[in-house]
Amino acid sequence: MHLRRFILFCAVAFSSFAQQPDLAKLPPAVRKNVDFARDVQPILSNRCYSCHGPDRQENKLRWDTKSSAFNGGTSGGAIVPGKSEQSRMIHLVAGLEKNLVMPKKGERLSSNEIGILRAWIDRGANWPDELAEPKLKDKTDWWSFKPALRPALPKVKNRKWARNEIDLFVLAKLEEQKLAPSPEADRRTLIRRLSFDLTGLPPTPGDVQQFARDRNPKAYEELVERLLASPQYGERWARHWLDVVHYGETHGYDKDQPRPNAWPYRDYVIRSFNEDKPYARFVQEQLAGDRLFPGTRDGFEALGFISAGPWDFIGHAEVPESKMDGKVARHLDRDDMVATTIQTFNSLTVQCAQCHNHKFDPIAQEDYYSLQAVFAAVDRADEKYDFDPAVAGKRKGLTERQTSLAAHKKELDEKIVARAGKPLLDLDAQISALAKAAKRSDAMGYHSAIEKGQGITKWVQVDLGHKVPLATIVLHPCKDDFNGIGEGFGFPVRFKVEMSDDAAFKEGVTMVGDYTREDVENPKLKAKSLDVAGGTARFIRVTATKLAPRQNDYIFALAELNAITADGTNAALGAAVSALDSIEAPVRWQKVNLTDGWQPGASVSDSSELASLRKKREQLLTQATQADENTALGEIDRDLATVKGELAKLPAQNTVYVGAVHTGSGAFAGTGANGGKPRSIYVLNRGSVQMPGKEVGPGSLSCLPGLPSRFELPPNHVEGDRRSALAQWLTRNENPLTWRSIVNRVWQYHFGHGIVETPNDFGRMGGVPTHPELLDWLAVEFRDGGQSLKKLHRLIVTSATYRQSSASVPAFEKVDSENRYLWRANRRKLEAEAIRDAVLLVSGKLDPKMGGPSFKDFVVDKPEHSPHYEYHLHDPEDPKSHRRSVYRFIVRSQQQPFMTTLDCADPSMQVGRRNESLSPLQALAMMNNSLMLTMSKHFAAKVDQQNGDLPGKVRAAYFEAIGRPPSAEDAKVLTLYARQFGLTNTCRVLFNLNEFSFVD
Amino acid sequence: MKNDSPFHRIAPPAQAQTRREFLWRSGGGLGGIALASLLGGEGLLAAAARAAESNGGLHLPHHRPRAKRVIQMFMGGAASHLDLFDYKPDLMKRDGQKSDFGEHVEAFQDGLGPWMKPVWPFKPYGQSGKMLGETVSELGKVVDEMAFIHNLVGKTGVHSQATYLQATGFQLPGFPGMGSWVSYGLGSMNENLPTFVVLPDHRGFASNGPKNWDSAFLPGQHAGTMIYPGQENPITDLFPGKAGGFVSAQSETAAHQVIAKLNRGHAATREGDARLDARIRSYELAARMQLAAPEAMDISNEPDYLLDLYGIKKNPPTWPKEINAGEEMDYFGRKCIVARRLIERGVRFVQIWSGNDNGFPRRNWDSHEDILRDHGPLSMGFARGATALIQDLKQRGLLEDTIILWTTEFGRMPSSQGGKGRDHNPYVFTNWLCGGGIKGGVTSGESDEWGYKPQDRNTPTTVYDIHATMLHLLGIDHEKLTFRHNGIDRRLTDVHGQVLKGILA
Repeated sequence: MHLRRFILFCAVAFSSFAQQPDLAKLPPAVRKNVDFARDVQPILSNRCYSCHGPDRQENKLRWDTKSSAFNGGTSGGAIVPGKSEQSRMIHLVAGLEKNLVMPKKGERLSSNEIGILRAWIDRGANWPDELAEPKLKDKTDWWSFKPALRPALPKVKNRKWARNEIDLFVLAKLEEQKLAPSPEADRRTLIRRLSFDLTGLPPTPGDVQQFARDRNPKAYEELVERLLASPQYGERWARHWLDVVHYGETHGYDKDQPRPNAWPYRDYVIRSFNEDKPYARFVQEQLAGDRLFPGTRDGFEALGFISAGPWDFIGHAEVPESKMDGKVARHLDRDDMVATTIQTFNSLTVQCAQCHNHKFDPIAQEDYYSLQAVFAAVDRADEKYDFDPAVAGKRKGLTERQTSLAAHKKELDEKIVARAGKPLLDLDAQISALAKAAKRSDAMGYHSAIEKGQGITKWVQVDLGHKVPLATIVLHPCKDDFNGIGEGFGFPVRFKVEMSDDAAFKEGVTMVGDYTREDVENPKLKAKSLDVAGGTARFIRVTATKLAPRQNDYIFALAELNAITADGTNAALGAAVSALDSIEAPVRWQKVNLTDGWQPGASVSDSSELASLRKKREQLLTQATQADENTALGEIDRDLATVKGELAKLPAQNTVYVGAVHTGSGAFAGTGANGGKPRSIYVLNRGSVQMPGKEVGPGSLSCLPGLPSRFELPPNHVEGDRRSALAQWLTRNENPLTWRSIVNRVWQYHFGHGIVETPNDFGRMGGVPTHPELLDWLAVEFRDGGQSLKKLHRLIVTSATYRQSSASVPAFEKVDSENRYLWRANRRKLEAEAIRDAVLLVSGKLDPKMGGPSFKDFVVDKPEHSPHYEYHLHDPEDPKSHRRSVYRFIVRSQQQPFMTTLDCADPSMQVGRRNESLSPLQALAMMNNSLMLTMSKHFAAKVDQQNGDLPGKVRAAYFEAIGRPPSAEDAKVLTLYARQFGLTNTCRVLFNLNEFSFVD
Repeated sequence: MKNDSPFHRIAPPAQAQTRREFLWRSGGGLGGIALASLLGGEGLLAAAARAAESNGGLHLPHHRPRAKRVIQMFMGGAASHLDLFDYKPDLMKRDGQKSDFGEHVEAFQDGLGPWMKPVWPFKPYGQSGKMLGETVSELGKVVDEMAFIHNLVGKTGVHSQATYLQATGFQLPGFPGMGSWVSYGLGSMNENLPTFVVLPDHRGFASNGPKNWDSAFLPGQHAGTMIYPGQENPITDLFPGKAGGFVSAQSETAAHQVIAKLNRGHAATREGDARLDARIRSYELAARMQLAAPEAMDISNEPDYLLDLYGIKKNPPTWPKEINAGEEMDYFGRKCIVARRLIERGVRFVQIWSGNDNGFPRRNWDSHEDILRDHGPLSMGFARGATALIQDLKQRGLLEDTIILWTTEFGRMPSSQGGKGRDHNPYVFTNWLCGGGIKGGVTSGESDEWGYKPQDRNTPTTVYDIHATMLHLLGIDHEKLTFRHNGIDRRLTDVHGQVLKGILA
């Protein structure tokens, strides 16, 4: 140590001498006692760390670690303990060197700051060893990381005001602040507030009147129960959840392709809220439902959580993982999964630890990449699953049987092949060479005549020669680079597949697959497989009802049609083909190509030479097969056929877009081909895929006491075990973040702001709880009391706190203008969905149908490449679009303008709390949007049907829209307006009143 | 300098508690809006600034601004620096020879064919003698106003991510557009029009569509408002459409009166809630925008010589199906002249897009197949409109405090793709700026001999530097314009960015 200091001294002294700094200019050392932690470290961290600290180490120097500070960077040591006037650090901050002043950016250090540094160095530069390294652990000294314990109930003065425990906590704070609660709101206000809060819909005038008159002392509690039990409750609260997980139904990014199978996740969330699923199970299902609750529908659909966010389609589909851009795309993809998981369930910004340890929170960079390792095998993809656990179980059993039979067969085959020896090997080589030579078939497929219109119907059909029992019919799309279309060339946008014994398809027609009602996404080269389940027929017909676009014209083309029987043979091979029309341009395009046994991606059709070689091969194998083997093989084939047949008899599977192991080809291969083996995950230096560091295994945050951060999984674990481990880690009692996070979210949606103002960030950059004891009491009560969200709602909305009036008290405004202490209720501006749904309901047009595919309030133009989502072309009279807004098809790139103007959540980012704005564009949307105008008409028509005079109708309309009768003066003004401009214009006015958009 | 027009600041940033406190409370019964119009008063302004300062330094401007407004031109699909602006004599000499980059190159597609010289000849222009490709030679008239940056580097060759990066400073969705940041930082200069206006390509959106000008986590009023000049409803829902046949001029006026009256009565019994007053005011402003927006877009009174300067045909012919220069000039010129009219009327930030998505036939700059076919008409179109705009602004004295920024996703390769096209080049490309506070006739940062990577690979220019420079000229320190979202103090420039001193006047 002494020697090093000496050398350091020499080096620094020499360089100082060489530059001859004017020491007289140095500000003097301060006289007061200087403490490193109190006085010096803050200067270093505020003024030096940004270039010489945890994130950047310019000249390899950092001021946050003792060793680096004393050893110096590439230009030598900077501190000479005891001698500040010889320390280069002091020269540089004092500006003694001509060309270099520190800090380079920002203001110069003050004389006092320099004086502090000098005093510290002069007195020996004492840097306590316990502060030698930057302490990540210190960052855990923060409210959110501490265990959640049930606090004692506080003592209050005004005890008779309190209705439940919540009120005690709230009142204690109010009394502490010399504030007082507001009186209870009137019943009309309460029912409107409750209805919007719990169901997102306004109460009907009948409900309002009945509740206002109800003498039952439990009327309020009964109303709460009725609303919590209504299915609209789940729809309302699912929408909040979908904000947080940034659920959307297109990929976003370039081309913004739709996700037609995302909606089952949305329905899962609605169902889970309505069923009041225990929260831990809700969390676990969304991360690892397939592993923890195998065979259940919820366990599968819930995985839509992982895939909810945006996805870079081009970055995956066009760029393989071997390229940098491909690596970046996949890194960003996992980043979204990790950030979504931790932000949603634990309200932390773990994604900040991507390039370096989190600046403010105790999250190490390694924690972040351990979380990436949890999702390392997963991509976003459409997956098939069974609704019914019994079916899922049966399918699983059959598939396993199939696998074991196939393995047995393989074993026998290998024995026989080995016995056949060299002659077989020679033959195989011949066959393979021949096959290679003719690798690409030019016989593309069947191609209809070219049409100028898309709506023209065309058909092509196959004659199997006789009645054949079938298992499946498979359609193979074409590939032709004409006009750059490529894969899926000519595949019809709408079509149907039928079977019949009548060549004219007039009698005994069985529908095999009907896709004529909705546009089908182009399958590219993916074969379309249709279950026939034992149906028998001679003719199969494919009818296109909406043709595929080509180049300002439209066609219907198919590469191949297979008619697969129970034993797996293709009965359509070589079958006769007829069609309404065909361009018949051999070799490429002709009808017979439809059954020639070749489609893009398949091996070559058998030429005669190949066929004879293959025949010879068969003979060789037959000779090499022993009798018992022959019997066994026969049995296996029979069993396989039986299994296949039984599989075919199972109900068709459903499809949902989830986070799962993806098996693909081309650039977007996924990990399926490796059996779902997780990709290797490295700590990326500065977050760059070009600078991988240490490899990490699966784990999570390391800052929670009592929760191990790395998952100890056996070496042979499957990828799902990683997700299960994370799901369990999140839902452990010891994880205080999970429980605080959810109760805070629920609180926020009831009161307008949370106990913690930042629902997605409980770290140091986030808020601190206004009522920390209440937050912990709620968290523990919720966690240990069955984790029922409905119970939590009940507790909150039956409190006296919730029932207060929203009227202001000027004296209290001065103390707490934000109403953080809840001395009154907060007047709430309705969200986009609540406004839209209320407009539909009030107009008598709301379709209450629940679940299923989303309605589209746009027309898609140019779907084949980059779909244009044209909202202005949508017909607002379309009843399909009159469903609740939670069922709206959510496009990421082109968001719905009306909803967006009204501040609806952006599906590209996690929205814990919506922005609330007011703008002229909102006024224009409320006045002029075609939905508003259309519903004004329906609203007026509905009111007009009632008996009575115009003033009566105006009063009725007002009550419907606002939830109370109008004042005499307002009624007069509105009636006068209605007389002059009619009821429709009057209804439009009602929709635009402030009171329509605000809830007291 | 802070112009806190009521149009802009109806709802202050949700997170700016202190500021909101101040704005909404200190006005007594007036409410936020009435208060905001009082903000011209010196005392209030200073107090507002003080209040804002305690909220993360939103004390603006940070220094004396050189410019007040921005017009950004964005070339969707990635415009070739090599064929338009970045003169490479070596590439001309080696045309057709096997390309050799001296290192492994990761091409986006298969664009590593032989070296390919610029499709058009280059000639020097102006006092500065800047070399320009023939199709943008129109810009030669104003080239001495322009500063070129030839050593910009991107981070990705994927269109979507690259577009996001240039438009929002981040590679992924969920971040505000540059104009949204400027709107958030500086506010509006007018009461009748939006602060940030976007003129999309009339044929469709480039990658990411409206997400490129979204307000993301910033309050909604900072989102870019799309304007389609010449359409029935040039701004969404500006007027009642077909469904509003029952609305007449008289019913509309009376409706506004009834709404205002009832809303005032409602607010009177709910004192202390400035949002209710703000919403009343928003209807007044909406009515004003209905008058102001069509007027701003109406070019029928522009003189013929000026229309001609912009390349606009007074009575456009039926354009041929194939892409052609006349049509491109007409459409781009119309956007440019409307941009000028918007700027004149106090719009702060205008973004003009050239090029739509990657559909067929190609109508963007992603010339994998044929530079000549697509870049030719597109560049002639934008060069005509941009030149006219610069001249027009200068003549009106507006150029001195209006920044024009020309940008694109990334560059294109010096090697050929399929004989006539060029593949993506995220490793180097060109931007240019001119106007408010920009030094004209200079070039800052060169690309290497091929235009493949920066000449000095250690000191490239990034989009963060461009954004930092632009904010600097507007009086904003890019490190101080922040907004806390989900626990992170977000900036347009993330954690990067240095002001490009070399191009400042």
